[in-house]
Amino acid sequence: MASNELLNYKDTTPAARLDNKTLNKMVWRSCQLQAAFNYERMQAAGWLWSILPGLQKIHTNKEDLAASMTHNMDFLNTHPFAVTFVMGMILSMEQQKLDIPTIRSVRISTAAPLGGIGDALFWMTLIPITAGMTANMAIDGSILGPILYFIIAFGAEMALRYGLMYWSYNMGTKAVGMMTSYAKEFTHAASVLGVFIIGALIANYGGGTKLGISIPNGQTAAEDGTMVDVFINIQEYLDKIVPCLIPLLFTLMCYFLIKKKGFTPVKLIGLFLVIGIVGAIFGIWAGEYTPLVPVPWNVIK
Amino acid sequence: MDFNIVECVLLAILTFFFAIDQFSLTEIVYRPIIACPIIGLVLGDMETGLVVGGTYELMMIGNMPVGGAQPPNAVLGGIVAMIFAVKANMDTNAALGACMIFATFGQYVVTLTFTIMSGLMAKADKAAEEANPKGITNVLNISMLILGSLFAVITVLAYVGGTAMSETLQSLSDNASWLMGGLSAAGAMMRFVGFGILLKIMFANDMWGYLLAGFALALVFGNIAATASAALILVAFIGIMLALMDFKTSSLTKNAGNGGMSDGI
Repeated sequence: MASNELLNYKDTTPAARLDNKTLNKMVWRSCQLQAAFNYERMQAAGWLWSILPGLQKIHTNKEDLAASMTHNMDFLNTHPFAVTFVMGMILSMEQQKLDIPTIRSVRISTAAPLGGIGDALFWMTLIPITAGMTANMAIDGSILGPILYFIIAFGAEMALRYGLMYWSYNMGTKAVGMMTSYAKEFTHAASVLGVFIIGALIANYGGGTKLGISIPNGQTAAEDGTMVDVFINIQEYLDKIVPCLIPLLFTLMCYFLIKKKGFTPVKLIGLFLVIGIVGAIFGIWAGEYTPLVPVPWNVIK
Repeated sequence: MDFNIVECVLLAILTFFFAIDQFSLTEIVYRPIIACPIIGLVLGDMETGLVVGGTYELMMIGNMPVGGAQPPNAVLGGIVAMIFAVKANMDTNAALGACMIFATFGQYVVTLTFTIMSGLMAKADKAAEEANPKGITNVLNISMLILGSLFAVITVLAYVGGTAMSETLQSLSDNASWLMGGLSAAGAMMRFVGFGILLKIMFANDMWGYLLAGFALALVFGNIAATASAALILVAFIGIMLALMDFKTSSLTKNAGNGGMSDGI
């Protein structure tokens, strides 16, 4: 089954509301969001595993369950503690059997921005404060330090997971009913948002891919008369044309290879492994390493 | 350093657990302030564990795993610091200094694992197409097994090799740096495959402008210090406006096409 053929579920009768037992089970399962983390789809497999109990209840025929599981393997990256917000939203849409492109667009558009909020709240606020409070207790030899740390951090994490799941599931169930009368238009609008967000993701996550070529280009006199080395940094020139140009081109390349040449993701991963390693042998990609082949330029980060 | 097989096995098991915990399970227990005292318990010196753990935790405040960045690996760093502090009788700061090469190496192991595990996604896709929940569970289990085992092996090496391992690791990481550089470059590129798949699903020919506009806005917000950390949510706000406009326009067109009548069925 090719993923672009997935437009509607066969059985479009809305399923019954998920019971609290299933919702709770999924809250706990959401802890495994990153258990199969990888660079290609990031949290996709963990995401699917987390919502599976719900999907199995909602899609009673096997064909629909397969369709739902297939599209829930899309690239996904969000904050691991805030993910239940996306889960509640998507489950309410699955339950109403909305058309699949809408669910896909809403998922990526909700998941991506949440990552930043979660980090700001948790890793930059709660954890530093908690660590500041409890680390000195530990250094003074008190076992209370680590215990308090665990209670505060894990407590906040689980409270967030629970609260967001119920809040967004209930909200979603109410909101989704209104979408159905203009389903086709809603799908297009959701895709617009999705594509817009993918554009943002390319710039936001792609920045790690850049050239590290820095060519020594003689010396020049500084203001105080001393001679300083001059380097030509190729990436700087590229950035003057369009910043993050390589990530943009690579993404479009993947899109065209998948769409026009029928490349599978595995083939593309192999391709990037070759591009990455061959590039590092000749010192093309940025990073802290020594190229295998001596090259007449420096590799910079 | 004296070798004790029970200690070594217990350490390997703990490492296996912490390695998985750093990305799933509780995502809290692996933090040095909790992990180090537990390792201290195994090595028979919990006091040192509290001190090393507390100090390491404070060191990490400015070094959080945000935005998908991989900081030097706290799991390997903490465990090796404990081995050095307890078994080699180094003082806290010396042990924390000496463990850093392991923390850096741990970062390589994570990059390597995340790169290899991209290959498992084909298996997950197949399980999804067959509506086979067990297949997805297997993918998760295999991934955790790979990550946990790699970390456990390195810990055993550190336990057996002691401080001498630091030098071996340093020279290994110097000699194979091109391979590690290449793998992390390739790892960073894998996400473009995920983006490509998403585009294949959602993209229609009238959407070029939106794709480029989202790209441009994320660059603008991302390069302004005040908005950089909120870039994606700010872009999403503008995206919501665009989606609402699109919805409005297309539903108006629909009504006009029907001669102003509601879509009677």
